[in-house]
Order: sequence, then structure tokens, then C-alpha cells
Amino acid sequence: MTVNYKLDAMIELRKFLWAELVDANIFDAEEYYSDNIGSTIVPIIPVQQAAEMNQFLSGKKHIVYDKIGMSYEDNWLVCCEQILFTIYTTDVSEITEIRNFMTDLFRRMDDSARDINRSGTLNDKFKFHSIFIADISPTEPSEELQGFFSSDVIIEAKYSRITDLNGRFQ
Amino acid sequence: MLLQAASGLERLMYNKNPKGNIQDSNIAQISAALYYQANVVAKLSNSKKFKSAFKKMVFTQIDKDFGEYIDAQARTKPRSLHHVYEWKKSGNKNARLFKLTSIDSDGISFKINYEFKASTSMVPAPQNRRRHVFANKASVMEAGMPLKIAPRHSQRLVFESNGETVFMPKGASVTVQRPGGPGVKNQFTLQYSRFFSGELVNNSIKKSGFKNLFNAESMKAMRIPTSIKTIKYSFSPNTIRSMADAAVESAFGGVMI
Repeated sequence: MTVNYKLDAMIELRKFLWAELVDANIFDAEEYYSDNIGSTIVPIIPVQQAAEMNQFLSGKKHIVYDKIGMSYEDNWLVCCEQILFTIYTTDVSEITEIRNFMTDLFRRMDDSARDINRSGTLNDKFKFHSIFIADISPTEPSEELQGFFSSDVIIEAKYSRITDLNGRFQ
Repeated sequence: MLLQAASGLERLMYNKNPKGNIQDSNIAQISAALYYQANVVAKLSNSKKFKSAFKKMVFTQIDKDFGEYIDAQARTKPRSLHHVYEWKKSGNKNARLFKLTSIDSDGISFKINYEFKASTSMVPAPQNRRRHVFANKASVMEAGMPLKIAPRHSQRLVFESNGETVFMPKGASVTVQRPGGPGVKNQFTLQYSRFFSGELVNNSIKKSGFKNLFNAESMKAMRIPTSIKTIKYSFSPNTIRSMADAAVESAFGGVMI
């Protein structure tokens, strides 16, 4: 069976976060519907695509994410990854809302991991063990996007990829 | 301080009247055991090899994590942090113009600081223009120092501004009030203090595996020697100090200072 090496825990986290944000009515998916491509663009975008999305996301709240780093523990099955989410909105209260929501969702370590494991969005090749908030920055006017405020939330996640009997990715 | 506190145990290590109220060796033995372990801990913090292993382990992890943190921040916020990388390589690990340094302090503690490296790449410029290196790019932009550009090899400055070529009068200079843009001043310092004043540095220390150093080698040295475990009513502080010395030396080798 071919192994899909394109799968990534960071993308699984993003899918889960988006589903939860929509579920909590913090984001309205319809606002991000693109007529050009005929579907919704998830406004949680990797930093490498931020420049291309600037026009589409102009004036709209969105989140840019990037992987800070990843390492394996002494137990090589467990991967530890830090992800930086930068929230951009034009309204300070919206940043507070998203930041508090993410804190509520991701600060509970084993319980946060349990929630993502039980969510319908998670690919069955992953299992999360623990998620917590490593750092939150204050809200400040963004230097990158004029007219926006920004704030960082750094999440640390421990997870495993399901393996075969030889320890290779399935 | 630990040794000072432990010295109070010395008098309890002589049980001169075994026929008194407490007629066994417990107090002397417990005092000797605590005295021994206090000496091991105190000597560990003076063992060059232990100190060096501890600092290396912790600093290496902090250096890695801090670098990755700044890289990610620079990719996400290039306008704020492009100045601590070579030109057009914001967030690229191999183009960093900063590095952490460690300064030895008392015992196993050490201080961390940062310094900026000189840029070695050419300042981007249109083709057919004289190109140069702005060596102190990172430190000048971080400090927000105004920059005066004057002709050195030519009679006048010629540059592009808003798509037009500007010819300055002969010998005239140009002052750039905020080199690197309005958003760079003190931004590296801000991220540095954010990393070192929050949970990020603590996570990094935890991740460093320094506990293994304590668990494996130190625990070996902390084991109570058989001579203290044997029932005796009196122990010599000098002998116990020597035993602690020997145990730390055998666990970590190296020179004791």
C-alpha cells in the first residue's frame, strides 16, 4: 500500500480549528466563498500563501500559520511540534474572541488531544496525545497588513502517526 | 548555602552517648547521609565537567528553539524581522544575522545574550548599478539609526524612487530616517524578550533533557555509600566530604575546582 507522505499534523490541526471556529459562529464560511474557484477558501492559511491571499482576504479576519519546529522525543513514536498562528483582524474585540477561543480549545493538554481525536475531521493516520498553549502575544497594530491588528498564539502538540509493525508510517 | 545548612548536621554525626535517650545510630547515620548528599549536590555545581555538560545541553536546545522561533516569526512578519537576515532571505535559517551567546555565571547558571553578525550579501540593486554590502544592516536597522548615504566612488548619487531615476546634486548625501522600514525598530529585541520572559524558554529547558544528566550520572553519585549505611555511632565530616568528592569525580570525571 502506498504511504501518503503529504499528510501533516499541522494541517489536521488547522482543519479541526476551522471546523470549531465555524461551529462556534466566530467565522462565517460564506464570507470566504470565492466565485472564481466556486468554493470556500479556508481563511487559515500557511505563511507561504499569505502573499497570494492578500487581495482575497483584504479587510477580512484571517489566521496565518507556520511551523516553528518539530522534534521527536526519546520515544521516537511521539513527535512534538510547535505551530505559530498569527490572527489578523481589523477589530480588536475579534482578536480577543479568537484568541480566547483557541486558548479554551487547546490549553487542556490530554483533553484537547482527546477532542481532536474524536472529531470527525481527523485523518485516521494520526493520533494526538497532548496539545497546549505555549505562548500568546499581546494584540498590536500589524506592521505586515496596514489597518489590521495582530496577535500570535503558539500551540505545542504531541502526536503520533499510525505505523505498521516495522514502525514505518501507514 | 546548602553546605552552610548542612554543616549544622556535623555535630549530630557524633553520637557520644549511645546509652542516652536514643540508643541507636539513627541520628548519626541520617545526619551523615544528608551531609553526604548535600556535599555531592554542592560539589556537582562546582564540577567543571558537570557544569559544562549541563550548560551545553540547555544552551544547545535554547539556541535551536529560539532560532526556529525567530525564523517562524520572520516568515510570518517579514516587514518586522527581515533585517536580521541576509537580503531577501527572511526566515531562512542559513541566512540569520543573529546568534545567541552564553556567558558563564556562578555554579551551573549562565546568562544568555545575543549579538548581530555582519551581513555579507550585496544590497539588492538594479542591474548595472554599483553594488555594495551593508555590513551592519541588522544592528543599524534594529536600533532604528538614521543612515546617511553619501557618494564615495562617484560624484553624485543616482537611485530609483517610485519608479523614477533620481539624480542628486554633486556630492549631496541622502539621509534615510528609518532604514529597513518603519516596522523594524526594536522588533528583534521584542521577540527576544517575548521568548525569554514567557513559557517558551521554560519549555525549551524542559525539552533539553537536562533531567537525564541529573537522573543518570548524578543519581549514581548521590547513592549513599556502604560505609554510611553500616551501623556506626560516629562519622567523620572530613571522610564524608572526601567520599562526596570521589563520587562526583567518578560520575563525571574531570577536575574539581
